[in-house]
Amino acid sequence: MLAIGAPAPQTALALFAGFLTVGIMLRVSRMIPATSSGVRFGGFSAVVGWRTVWLTAGAVGLAVTLLVVGLIVGDFPVPVVDALRTAFFERGGEYDFVVNTLRFPRVVTALLAGICLGLSGAIFQTLIGNPLVSPDIIGIDQGAAVCAVFILVVGGNIALLPIAAFAGALATALFIYVLAWKRGVSGTRLVLVGIGVNAVLAAVVTFMLVRFPIERVAAAARWQAGTLFGSSWEDVRILAVGLILLSPLAWYWTRKLRMLELGDEAAAALGIRVERDRLILIAIGAGLASFAVAVVGPLSFVALLVPHLARLLGGPMTTGLLALTAALGAGLLLGADLVAQRLFAPTTLPAGVVTAAIGGPYFLYLLYRYNRAI
Amino acid sequence: MRSDSPSHPPTLTTQALDLDYGGPTIVADLEVTIPVGEITVIIGPNGCGKSTLLKALARLLKPTEGTVFLDGKDIHRWSTRDVARRLSLLPQAPRAPDGVLVSDLVRRGRYPHQGLFDQWSAEDERAVGRALELTSMVELSDRPVDELSGGQRQRAWIAMALAQDTPLVLLDEPTTFLDMAHQVDVLELLRTLNETEGRTVVMVLHDLNQACRYASHLIAMADTTVIAEGPPQDVVTAAMVERVFGLACKVIDDPVSGTPLCIPLGRKENSKNT
Repeated sequence: MLAIGAPAPQTALALFAGFLTVGIMLRVSRMIPATSSGVRFGGFSAVVGWRTVWLTAGAVGLAVTLLVVGLIVGDFPVPVVDALRTAFFERGGEYDFVVNTLRFPRVVTALLAGICLGLSGAIFQTLIGNPLVSPDIIGIDQGAAVCAVFILVVGGNIALLPIAAFAGALATALFIYVLAWKRGVSGTRLVLVGIGVNAVLAAVVTFMLVRFPIERVAAAARWQAGTLFGSSWEDVRILAVGLILLSPLAWYWTRKLRMLELGDEAAAALGIRVERDRLILIAIGAGLASFAVAVVGPLSFVALLVPHLARLLGGPMTTGLLALTAALGAGLLLGADLVAQRLFAPTTLPAGVVTAAIGGPYFLYLLYRYNRAI
Repeated sequence: MRSDSPSHPPTLTTQALDLDYGGPTIVADLEVTIPVGEITVIIGPNGCGKSTLLKALARLLKPTEGTVFLDGKDIHRWSTRDVARRLSLLPQAPRAPDGVLVSDLVRRGRYPHQGLFDQWSAEDERAVGRALELTSMVELSDRPVDELSGGQRQRAWIAMALAQDTPLVLLDEPTTFLDMAHQVDVLELLRTLNETEGRTVVMVLHDLNQACRYASHLIAMADTTVIAEGPPQDVVTAAMVERVFGLACKVIDDPVSGTPLCIPLGRKENSKNT
């Protein structure tokens, strides 16, 4: 095991710059008024919140910047121009292996997984009306983990891992939904049942980890921490398929989600089929989380943190806020992975360790604030 | 995607209605007809099934037996969206999500009229503007709902129900948690809506005297069924109040409105009067 050294001065400086950027973004967002205005042309009409538009543009910019930074930094630095040329224009050449095999798939995986986790968290938090909820807390991620860890510890085909994780997550979501059913599903009951299911599934994973041979368990344990190490274009393909299938559904059902967050009765009076639409939204949220978990493992707290940050910046749920959440999710995971790789370089950490290190304290802070508000 | 609002005011009636929540019967064999273009108030003691009846009228609860008819057709055979274009419901003590602005809340009332790509038509804008105006919420429209006072918050929700632009407006205890001045505000607003826009209003109220003053049609419920129904002047008598609420009282004319005013008798007053 390599000893973990102190972060290099330039890494610390970069981290500081990162925090400063986020701080400035927060300041600027306050200066843009939160009002929205109607836009109409032809058969189209919509209400546009300009603050959300600006913030989304900023967050997309941040994600793209981090993506490029992810291509150039590492144990083997690559000049920006060469990195971009190798990645986008001329494949091959001096930097081909480092850029196109090691780094490019990894950053794109981080980008897409971040989007999945952000969207999933936003759907669950809005649907349940509780900022402390996310798919990793109510057991969806753990459901995926049970199936994935099983494949790893019995030495099954690694190619089946995403499918197993997807099946595990959906089965868990359905199981929680059925357990929480009592003439309809209330948010609180869903969370409590989910936390219980999460604990049981975590025990199942632990059981498998102590029961099976150590050399297989090591791979499972590493996957469980949530890592982007060794991401391939195959991972990118899985995430892309997931997003192409589920993000249009998420976008469409956001309008119904906005009605559902007014309460079941108000939503029903507005013409929402409450139970059907809630089940569909849970399935979309669980699906999005499962694709991310299948590829990068249960990265804790991303799905909790990102929607929260988005709401803090952009206000209550709208389709625009969903876009902001996606962009912030991508940015956060890219940033977390960069920190995980470079903070104690040459020793690298799993990205999940970094997200947990940021997310854990933030979760406690939320818990503290939420309790005080009651 | 847009379909026009109904051309005539829709009717709402029930036939042999039995309601429960999977347990004991809450409402049994109930028949009521909501008069079109009037204010109907449902009164009764706690647990008599008045809110349950309102839920069934708004299609939130499926009857165990019997039928609610909206415009002569079983309300459960309408599409949810078509119901939402004819009938709006303000639930009891609704809660807005954190940070939602008044304008955003009221805009959501337009949902049943909107299409996927047509989410803010001129008609939507007009209906929202009118709802804000009627409820005097124009100045407050850029404020978060959770920062408003109780009365303002209730007006914001009523504005949302009005933006839905339905001929039938159902409200479940719209005056709960409000102080007296705000209670009168809300009831006056509903009366104005009824008079100027011809909307049919159906609401559950706790206060019998307020019900007498604002209702043109009163439905008194007790013990799963309707005890008396009709204009307050005809319905509210000492005997009826005794039967419905189990309360001895004296009914006099309200010195302001001339409607019945019920004055409860305590033990002391009761012995003096009899």
